[in-house]
Amino acid sequence: MLNFVRSSIIAIAIGSCTAAMAADHVTFQLDWLPGGDKAPVYVGIQEGFFRAENLDVKVATGRGSTDAITKIATGQADIGMADIGALMAAKAQDDVPVSAVAAYFTQAPHAFFVLSNSGIHNIKDLAGKKVATSPFTSSNAFLPLVLKQNGLSDKDITLIKADPGALGPMLMTGNTQAIIAWVTNTALYKAQAAQAGKTITVLPWSEGGLSLYSSSIIASDRFLSERPEVAKRFIKAFEKAVVYTYAHPEKAGEDLHDIVPEVDPKIAAAQIHSIYDLVYNKISQSDGFGVLTAKRLTTTWQYVAKANDLSPDSLNPEKIVNKAFMPTPN
Amino acid sequence: MNHTPAPKAALHAPQQSHNSKTTASGVKQWFKKQGYRFAPWLFFISLLILWESICRLGHVPTYILPSPSSIINAFFNVSFSRWMVHLWATLRVALLGFIVSILISIPLSIALIRSELLNRTIYPVLVVIQSTPVVAVAPLIIVLMGTGDASRVLITCLITFFPLVVSTTTGMLETPQELIELSQSLRAPRYRETWQIRIPYAIPHIFSGLRVSITLAIIGAVVAEFVAAEQGLGYFIQFSTSFFKIPQAFAGLVFLSAISLLLFKSVHWIQAWLFPWSLPKKK
Repeated sequence: MLNFVRSSIIAIAIGSCTAAMAADHVTFQLDWLPGGDKAPVYVGIQEGFFRAENLDVKVATGRGSTDAITKIATGQADIGMADIGALMAAKAQDDVPVSAVAAYFTQAPHAFFVLSNSGIHNIKDLAGKKVATSPFTSSNAFLPLVLKQNGLSDKDITLIKADPGALGPMLMTGNTQAIIAWVTNTALYKAQAAQAGKTITVLPWSEGGLSLYSSSIIASDRFLSERPEVAKRFIKAFEKAVVYTYAHPEKAGEDLHDIVPEVDPKIAAAQIHSIYDLVYNKISQSDGFGVLTAKRLTTTWQYVAKANDLSPDSLNPEKIVNKAFMPTPN
Repeated sequence: MNHTPAPKAALHAPQQSHNSKTTASGVKQWFKKQGYRFAPWLFFISLLILWESICRLGHVPTYILPSPSSIINAFFNVSFSRWMVHLWATLRVALLGFIVSILISIPLSIALIRSELLNRTIYPVLVVIQSTPVVAVAPLIIVLMGTGDASRVLITCLITFFPLVVSTTTGMLETPQELIELSQSLRAPRYRETWQIRIPYAIPHIFSGLRVSITLAIIGAVVAEFVAAEQGLGYFIQFSTSFFKIPQAFAGLVFLSAISLLLFKSVHWIQAWLFPWSLPKKK
């Protein structure tokens, strides 16, 4: 009997220790398929940044920012990545239980891609040209704004819509003089152009006057209120993973490839190189990495409200951020 | 009677000619038979050669139209284990959805045959479900049921069940009325009427429905993977396209079609194995 009691106590003690040591599970929601721009979360897993914070992170792929926000709002994921503009638009129309916690891209990734020999050197040169875009990209909403900032209007260009996969071939074959895509795809389009013996020039909208927050870290309000310590540890580890990713793009590409073998590590590394300026730029230098400032949030909201035809009064942009979890400014 | 023996040569000549004629026609027959046998393959290989030639001679870039050789290369560039991971993910959902569909459709068809009230009440709902584009509903199902297999199986079910219900019901309704009347006059219970008369008569129709449904099951699984998945051939194709790896996407597509064909044939083999009498007689 004494032996039974003793072994029961030992079993309970071992059980409690295991429970105490068990890592906290976190599901991270991507807003698209794995690629160089999504590398930090995979780097965090492979390089042990999450393990060091006693976190067991599972990554779920998404099909756009709205999809990511919906999945986080409905509790299928705890935290994730999405365009802050999409979150603002969602919050302005409905009380979505999701908050932004940190900035990732402090500049918008939208851009025009043109052939280098097309004679188009800036956005103003697009007057009278044919521009192709994909039907569902968030860039379409911002197009009139960036055109206006460059003295053009919708009528000055011929806009055609096509499947995202067709845009590159259309540009290379001369079916269109420019395409709208994200700078995250620069490496892919360059590879496609090289195959056709051509080179491309990227005209980022951020250089054409459209300066706003874009991809950000967002989390469900429930996750933040019920497991605040886990959320803080996650954000801390994620920040380290971002720093590592952009300091070691090649290794980050390999880390991503180790988890998602379909991703070519070289292409992923090239993508990371091409989007460095979206993550590390004057904004991140002056405000600090991950920080969402009231001023820039307001600017972003003004753009988003105009682009989505929403009333500027329908949202207080500062309210969408849970500052308790935001990385501290410099 | 003068029985002059015919010279041997004269006797053999027509025989020889007849034999050579027979041999010639035999060879002709053999070629005709082999030609008939291999015609689909020859046509398929000719198409591939034409496709390859157009790509090579026309210098068509792979992002516009990949050549068969680049598709084969892309196929072998993906490791066998990765193909198996994606194949299993798609096959698991497709087969689960297909089986659930069978389990729902056949009892539902029996219920629809037996009860006029149910027929009037449920049939319009089934038509509405079938008319709703699953591609549009899929994201809502994922939101409601989560990103696990359950939602993908439901999406597959929604696509596959209707042809099964229609074919089973049609088959059971085509049972000769005199047989039904005979069973009723012998006071056979309803379950015997269903299992021993109606269902056997419906077998050819049920298998026609199963053949349509199994190919739809693959489409359903792929639609579900397009909306939410981390693995599967649909996910693989979408992923390859997002990285502009068009030959790889084509390789996934070819693999998917091959699996679909194999499943289609499997339904036929199962029918030939379990219900050989239900197959149409060969000419």
